Amino acid sequence: MRIDVDALKCIGCMACEMACGYHRDDAFALLSSCIVVYRAREKKDYFGVVIKEEESLTIARPEGLEIKRIGVAEEPDPAGQKKEADASAKPMLLREPCDLCNGMKYGPMCVKICPVDAISLVEEGE
Amino acid sequence: MDYLSSNKILIVDLETGQISEDDLDDELVGRKIGGVGITSSLYQTHKDKEPIVLGTGLLTGTMFPASALGVVSAKSPRTGNLAHAPFTLKAGMELKYTGFDYVVILGRSPKPVFLWLHDGVADIQDASDLWGADVWATTDSIRRAMGDDLIQTLAIGPAGESGSDLAQVCINYWASGDCWGFGKLFGEKNLKAVALRGMGLLEISEPEDFVDQCFDVFDKIKGGAFAGRRGIEDILSEMGEKDASEWLAPFIHRHSACYNTPYSTNTFVYLNEDSKTLTEPVEPEPGFLINDPCALLAFKRAGFSAQNACRVLKACSKYGIDPAAVAELCEKSGQKDTEKIEQSFSDLKGPVAIPDGGKFSSWSPAQPLFSDFGVSDRSAYLAWWTRRQAVAYLFGIHPIFVNMSPELSEELMIEMFNKGTGLELSQESLDTVIDDVCS
Repeated sequence: MRIDVDALKCIGCMACEMACGYHRDDAFALLSSCIVVYRAREKKDYFGVVIKEEESLTIARPEGLEIKRIGVAEEPDPAGQKKEADASAKPMLLREPCDLCNGMKYGPMCVKICPVDAISLVEEGE
Repeated sequence: MDYLSSNKILIVDLETGQISEDDLDDELVGRKIGGVGITSSLYQTHKDKEPIVLGTGLLTGTMFPASALGVVSAKSPRTGNLAHAPFTLKAGMELKYTGFDYVVILGRSPKPVFLWLHDGVADIQDASDLWGADVWATTDSIRRAMGDDLIQTLAIGPAGESGSDLAQVCINYWASGDCWGFGKLFGEKNLKAVALRGMGLLEISEPEDFVDQCFDVFDKIKGGAFAGRRGIEDILSEMGEKDASEWLAPFIHRHSACYNTPYSTNTFVYLNEDSKTLTEPVEPEPGFLINDPCALLAFKRAGFSAQNACRVLKACSKYGIDPAAVAELCEKSGQKDTEKIEQSFSDLKGPVAIPDGGKFSSWSPAQPLFSDFGVSDRSAYLAWWTRRQAVAYLFGIHPIFVNMSPELSEELMIEMFNKGTGLELSQESLDTVIDDVCS
């Protein structure tokens, strides 16, 4: 099972990010979340969601999903634009990978809290 | 204060450059709750130094639905009385995590400065280079200088610097709930902006109970009265402009919500790009985020096209001027030429209507939205709205969302406050504080 995000449904409220932070820290904080709303291109209204997983980063962009294998060198962006490296103060690669909220009675908390059902739990490969 | 708090009140004297900190005592929280209860108290304590007080509620920045609110409290240049302006988007949450629950800004700086609050540290930074810049350039410059695009700013533009009573403190690039002329106070203090970035952590007294209850409320809200509605255009429709969606539709890019707010109260319009574009646009400033329903409504009712209304709203936020006031003055003058309106900003003066409700911002529509809350008589709206706003401003809840979700009852907020803080707030105490902040 893995977390899937429909970035076009996302309203960027960050509820998922805070719920994930609670799972990590038993307190309210954002630095440990493995799901992050990237929102640094505010003037362009270009936002989506990044999830750190065991071996990959899932980047849910408005135009579609991209899965990047961790450890594989990235091709330079021909447009020279920053992509999701600016997602947060703590680089995604330094965060714990998603464990689907293992041990929490709620199941994956980001799925449960999303107010617009943009986040869902799907079978691997879906 | 051990829970839902950084336990710090910051006091900044811009005249001397002195910065000090006080603890946030449980006793003060017991008497005044938080939010405007405490900003009002701090305002009275420091009244002789013309304070601007920033603060959050104890639920701000938590998993409680719509816990997005930060507040600015000060003496309004437009009324001469203490008033409160909400700031939402992600700025209320960001203030909460800077490490300061309240920030008292005193005196006048001898030179332009901005206040940089981050990770429990407060710095007064030189803003001489920013003086004269518009709000957008100011936010860009601060983010670039600090190397962090997620810094949230409360910033003024030329309107605040020139002492206009209509000057607004803006959030990042966008409007705010400042209908009180607080931008003028920033300008008088030589305070160009407050920049916020926090990576703090809030402990919870009864974490499992608190989070259980948050999920219960979210479940109820999801099936609530506004299900299927979204954006500022549906708020306008609810306010009587039934064709608002059709009017705005050609320009709507996406909807977005303030921190942890289940309804997307913000609508982004593309003015220089195809609004259906999904990929990142090349144009650096393709449009505008509309977050002030009353201002948009006023322009629509004044007969503006959606495109021209959005262009004026964008110009207002760059100049740092209250768009609702501009709309009112345009309606009175009959002026609809967007370029002429923009050129008139520097000379724009009232009279502009003083917001109803005394101390709370008319940015939040004075009526129930999507649900009647049992208030069917329009003559009872103002009293209902005033109390509802007081509760939102005390606990840290989004002031527009609180008008659309009866699930967020006073009883529930008291319960969450108690679970979160370990204190024992009663309905009687809440009533006393509401009377106090409304009087």
